[in-house]
Amino acid sequence: MIYRRHFLTFAAASALLAATAPARAQGAEKATAFMKSLGDQLVAVVNGPGTASSKRAAMTRIIDTYVDVDGIGKFCLGRYWKLATPEQQKQYIKLFHEVLVTNITSKLGEYQGVTYTMGRSRMEDEDAVVSTTVLRPNNPPTAVDWHIVNPSSDPKVTDVVAEGTSLRLTQRQDYASYLAHNNNSIDALISAMRNQVSQSS
Amino acid sequence: MRSVPRARPPFRGTSWLLALSAIVFIGLAGCATKPPPDDPDAVADYQQTNDPLEPTNRVFYAINNGIDTVILKPAAQAYRFVLPGPVRQGIHNLLSNIGSPMQLTNDMLQGKPRRAGDTAMRLVINTTVGVLGIFDVAKKWGYPDHDADFGMTLANWGVPEGPFLFLPVLGPSDPRDAIGFGVNIALDPFTWVGGPGNVGLKAFNWSRWGVNALDSRERVLDTLDQIKKTALDPYATFRSLYRQHRHSQIEDMRNDNRATVPVWFPQAANESSK
Repeated sequence: MIYRRHFLTFAAASALLAATAPARAQGAEKATAFMKSLGDQLVAVVNGPGTASSKRAAMTRIIDTYVDVDGIGKFCLGRYWKLATPEQQKQYIKLFHEVLVTNITSKLGEYQGVTYTMGRSRMEDEDAVVSTTVLRPNNPPTAVDWHIVNPSSDPKVTDVVAEGTSLRLTQRQDYASYLAHNNNSIDALISAMRNQVSQSS
Repeated sequence: MRSVPRARPPFRGTSWLLALSAIVFIGLAGCATKPPPDDPDAVADYQQTNDPLEPTNRVFYAINNGIDTVILKPAAQAYRFVLPGPVRQGIHNLLSNIGSPMQLTNDMLQGKPRRAGDTAMRLVINTTVGVLGIFDVAKKWGYPDHDADFGMTLANWGVPEGPFLFLPVLGPSDPRDAIGFGVNIALDPFTWVGGPGNVGLKAFNWSRWGVNALDSRERVLDTLDQIKKTALDPYATFRSLYRQHRHSQIEDMRNDNRATVPVWFPQAANESSK
């Protein structure tokens, strides 16, 4: 039994060593610090004083600094990205940016009083994943995982996974279905997005 | 099985419903058009979406959406308005405690001893100290809740989920979860205790079902509004969210391989937990 326990300890220790290869550990650590700073700023804007428009401006600033909007936008268009003309791509990315900001700012009211706790962070291939728990009044706690690309050099959020549902994957399937029902016309998608932005602002 | 009340001719309502759904099915059971085989990306999309009954599903989505708008959503809003948060939480806890025998059966069928242990401890602690389950004391004592139903059990047994289904009243599903839903009811001891013709039990089960619907709907009031507002195609968004959510529940269950080392063993049970 003793031998077995020593062996297990040794196996666990070596597994731990392998997992915490310096670069990866550093990546996860930096991702945690990055996430903490992002989370604190988000909560400060959501719960802080200020008019809707000043909050929107603050939110735009945070998204520009912390989120890989272009990368997410490309992902969400999926196979249609290659089919789009350079002009369509440019329009789409610009609108995608606005849609993202609009969708997030329209949620601010219902997130009033939000707090969060940091969980573990781990490496998943090249990305870091930081787990958090988001708590808001009148709602059950939500487990939210933040996927962070280039954690040690130029960290940016590429995906937010709430209770196992990926925001960018959901968005991609929403767009794909819209396109499939509109003759695969990227112009139709662009005008639908334009509508969305103009309706809510 | 339950006896049918004599006052009502048996199956009148049921046959009417069946006839109606048959008409709806025959009229609308068009299949989604397959993309031309010379467009591999489109074919891959079609297969990944795995929704061959999409036109029919969309009809049921529209019907459910209508029912939700005029009945369920206003009811859930009233429920939220009338009862303060802590009371609603208590009701939620109570409902979840009533469901725990069924959860325990599924934990065991899934071959997850630690999860079964958690559920058993939750049932005992919350029913007694937690006053029939109104207070979730067990969570504070280290026995957190988890999801377990027969759809997940089937998944663990290797049954594939199959194509997407949008069911009348029940909402997003798939063949595996639809079967799971029925079996769950059969696995629930409250379905059977008391024997046939027990009016009290029948009333209990119906009110439990009703309050459960209110509770579930109330908890997603804000989220559903938000999705309907921001999605270009809400149906496709719900389809995606439902699948992802189920996959993550099943993943959590599969990855929960905490060992059952007795506490008196030199290597304490806690060290081997995940």
